Amino acid sequence: MAIEAAKTPERPPLCGDAVAVDAEGRATLIGGVCADCGAEAFPRAPVCSTCMSENIEPKKMPRRGTLYAFSTVHVAAKKWKRPMCIGYVDLPNKARVFTHLVGQGLAIGDEVEVAMGTVGEDENGPIDCFIFKKVSG
Amino acid sequence: MNGVSVVGVGMIPFGKYPEKNIADLGWPAVKAAIKDAGIEGRRIEAVYSGTARGGAMVGQRIMGRLGLAGLPIVNVENACSSSSSALAQAVIAVGSGAYDVALVIGVEKLTKFGGGTLPLDEDDWEVRLGLSMPALYAMRAQRYMHDYGVKLEQVAAVSVKNRHNGALNPDAQMRKEVSVAEVLASRMVADPFTLLQCCPTGDGAAAIILASDKVARQIRRDAISVRGSHLTSGRFMAGFRDMTSPEITVRGAKESFEEAGLGPSDIDVAEVHDAFSIAELLYYEAFGFCPRGEGAAFLESGATKIGGKIPINPSGGLLAKGHPVGATGAAQVVEIVRQLRGEAGARQVEGAKVGLTHATGGGISGFDHGACSIHIFQR
Repeated sequence: MAIEAAKTPERPPLCGDAVAVDAEGRATLIGGVCADCGAEAFPRAPVCSTCMSENIEPKKMPRRGTLYAFSTVHVAAKKWKRPMCIGYVDLPNKARVFTHLVGQGLAIGDEVEVAMGTVGEDENGPIDCFIFKKVSG
Repeated sequence: MNGVSVVGVGMIPFGKYPEKNIADLGWPAVKAAIKDAGIEGRRIEAVYSGTARGGAMVGQRIMGRLGLAGLPIVNVENACSSSSSALAQAVIAVGSGAYDVALVIGVEKLTKFGGGTLPLDEDDWEVRLGLSMPALYAMRAQRYMHDYGVKLEQVAAVSVKNRHNGALNPDAQMRKEVSVAEVLASRMVADPFTLLQCCPTGDGAAAIILASDKVARQIRRDAISVRGSHLTSGRFMAGFRDMTSPEITVRGAKESFEEAGLGPSDIDVAEVHDAFSIAELLYYEAFGFCPRGEGAAFLESGATKIGGKIPINPSGGLLAKGHPVGATGAAQVVEIVRQLRGEAGARQVEGAKVGLTHATGGGISGFDHGACSIHIFQR
């Protein structure tokens, strides 16, 4: 009997557990909230940069935000999709998220929404991560 | 604190030296500084050596080559501010009276990485997700152009000015003048930056010899006084921050001027951290050389060219002189000391009495920049 090759476990996204995807495929960023002072942060860190508490709980971040700045980058390591569009998105809870962006005709101030996407590829296959894309309409 | 002066400076021309190891890049700069000071190498009592990517024990390797090891050597890593941070430590040590004579080295070999953007630490969240230095500065540029209605041509004009200055500097890596059209036609790196709006990859070394004012007077009559020496780190801001106003430099500039008892109008010449074209405009404003949002118009007025009101980066800056990152801060001091002594040849700023250097860097998540070191000198 032929021995079946072990299946490669599905590759976790580049951003690890900073994103959750529900049954409908809807992505939500998971940041942190300090249980002592209430400060919210993305990404989640093991210690609060406001009060030094280690009492940090996972917290769903708002799914939509405003594009603060972005750039289309042509010179980057081989593993990235090139050119790649990257930027900072400001969320209503005052978190600023560095992210890959998808879509044509982006402008500073656009409303953008989180999703999952493929941002590059290396010897282990496609590299997936959260991305933001323009909210249509 | 006792007074501290610069008694000797030296550097090697910035460029590409793939065949040389870091010790052999460094020692000629140290030897040149010793010769410039006109002292015996043995008078150096302590060494502060800055490199960002040069590896371990770089100061020892360089001093060993010259037979000058066997004294306190401190190796400093602070990204693009490595050697300016080393200088700040040396000023404290000499100012405290611990040493009469100390040496500062800045050295870097970037050609070993084989080109491309400066490698950053993937342990950092945003770097892991794809952030690079050109991309970070490009976002600053995009936001600045958006907020102040500045055009691409106006940003590109920084490269034109600094390439002009670099053409006058035998120690510069890029010695060819360029036009705005050529800058904009060069290949795209990170929108809006074309290649000629990015500092080149290169290698280099620079060295500075400090002495207490008392000893400096015995060494030379034209020692350059250190009026201010400032080092700070960026504030961690996980949330919103204004990328058009670099908080670390705004704060550092204010504190440096207070420490020196001087203001922006007292500065006759400055070397600021123009790693990318936009940076120089942001720093005109951060230092108060011109009001917020008026950097591009200030450049267009001719105020910052050699012969203008406040010449900025007469050496060619990072854009033309080059940016072997750990060597940059020390090389800025070499330029300012030469300017204040009247030794800058074709790029001399006439009558310069007070000069300023500014090296800032370290692209890490949550910070405008990781480190910033500012020095003010007077003849």
